[in-house]
Amino acid sequence: MSSAIVDIPEYAAKKLAKGVLYALLVILAFLQIFPLIWVFDYSLQKSGDLFGPDILKLSFAPQWSNYSRAFFDGHIPRYFLNSVIVVSASSVFSIILSFCLAYAITRMQWKLKAVAVLCVTIGMVVPIHTTLLPNFIWFGYFKLIDTHLGLIIPYIAFTLSFNTLIYIGQIKTIPTSMEESAFIDGASWPRILASIVAPMAAPATVTVGVMTFLNNWNEFIMANTYLATDDLRTLPFSIIKFQGQYSSDYAVQFACMFLVALPPLLLYFIFSKQIMAGAIAGAVKG
Amino acid sequence: MKGLFSNRLVIAALALPAIAVIVFAMIIPIGFSVYYSFTDWAGFGKYRMVGAENYVTILTQDPVFWRSLLNALILMLATVFLQNPVAFALAALLSHLGERFSRSMRTIYFIPAALSLVVIAKLWVSIFNPTYGILNKVLGFAGLGELSTSWLSNPHTALGAVIWIIVWQGFGWALLFYYTGLMTVPDEIEEAARVDGAGWFATYTKIIIPYLFPVISAVIVIDVISSLKQMELIFLSTEGGPGQLTQFIAVYLYQKAFVAGQYGYGNALSVLFVVVAICLTILVQRLLRQEGEE
Repeated sequence: MSSAIVDIPEYAAKKLAKGVLYALLVILAFLQIFPLIWVFDYSLQKSGDLFGPDILKLSFAPQWSNYSRAFFDGHIPRYFLNSVIVVSASSVFSIILSFCLAYAITRMQWKLKAVAVLCVTIGMVVPIHTTLLPNFIWFGYFKLIDTHLGLIIPYIAFTLSFNTLIYIGQIKTIPTSMEESAFIDGASWPRILASIVAPMAAPATVTVGVMTFLNNWNEFIMANTYLATDDLRTLPFSIIKFQGQYSSDYAVQFACMFLVALPPLLLYFIFSKQIMAGAIAGAVKG
Repeated sequence: MKGLFSNRLVIAALALPAIAVIVFAMIIPIGFSVYYSFTDWAGFGKYRMVGAENYVTILTQDPVFWRSLLNALILMLATVFLQNPVAFALAALLSHLGERFSRSMRTIYFIPAALSLVVIAKLWVSIFNPTYGILNKVLGFAGLGELSTSWLSNPHTALGAVIWIIVWQGFGWALLFYYTGLMTVPDEIEEAARVDGAGWFATYTKIIIPYLFPVISAVIVIDVISSLKQMELIFLSTEGGPGQLTQFIAVYLYQKAFVAGQYGYGNALSVLFVVVAICLTILVQRLLRQEGEE
């Protein structure tokens, strides 16, 4: 009986502390995404209305026309298509090449393996930005500047090392006996890789695929440096383009920002688990 | 069966394409960079070899180079001593709460890390904008209107504002790493500490933080390297200004080569950048490894 009297306030205090904690975390989360809410809010206003003192505006006449203007005047369909082409091509090749390299490094026995591992390590350490200047000249020899291929190749190169490390981790967990018995049954190498190893490495493929796609989709500085023709440019450019063309039309710029942010956001919400797992794996191994 | 895994043709077919791409798009370009760093090329026309002149100039007469390293250092300190502790504390709180709530919170905190840096940069440029930006409006609302300023072009606030953008963007990563690390702490360790009568503070400082040393050091390594490698967020917000105060080395070498027409000099900066990045990676890893063993 006496213990119950003591227990109730303690229990209540704990509950209260927990409630405060939850509230604090929710408020912080809200602050973290508030900038995005703000962009969305302002993207539905008339540009002239943005200069008042209001922090958020409740609009009874949301200006959806801002979105159609951003969509068409920002060349979003064209840029979007370019992004899809460049990012899909580079992601597919990066996945295949890194899977093969990872397999060669984990399973095969060869003398120059150390050189391959060194290349992968260099790939993890070299900053993208140090290749911007020389690639301008070097890629120029092959007429790769201002082409999609000239962007696809470095996009593959800069994601290969990370992807290879993830695949190495996964392939190590697959028992060798699977491949050996398949080989005894007369399966060829391409068959062993495609129908035995690849399915067992599928979790890594999801992580690698989503990470590669997201990184290349968001890449800006190489695209900005190597592409000069407007028709070839990728999605982030619509924001830059708008700034120049509609320098005072802030609401349309905001609509444009939201449209550009949307595809990676959707991808993120669908694959958040894989993306977070990939981020961790990359950090631990890098 | 031994022969299976040492078939040379198979090894070549598997490894060569990937190695070729890395060599073509990363290693050869750095070789080019080294070559051009010994020239006075403007990016067009004729040039001559100038030996180590560019390097000597950078190291002895270029305050902007040192400023950009200093900025990387300031950013690193802000990340390690401000962002990381907050991220760790939040991760610790989340690790004690229900999985569903904690997961939705982690998902929200990580959103900025999934967005394009162009969007992030333009977002914060708008927030800091003196005419329609929300920061000045909030300050006005709170009665602190006299603090309003043009955040990204005021020499007193520009570096702080840029660092804030970078720290905000990276917060979700730090939180995620720490959370994942905290999840690996065996329950028995925490329980044992509690049985011994340790409070939560002692449990964390004496047991959990030492246990997580490898995770913490991995995060610090990443922070150090990524502080040095910052580019897009600066390039798209202040472009290193006002007066080179917010300059970072990657932005600086880009401007030297493509804006100032000093391609050779830019390449020398680029080579130094690679050297500093590699040395720093090795150094930080060594330092933390030693400390971990003590």
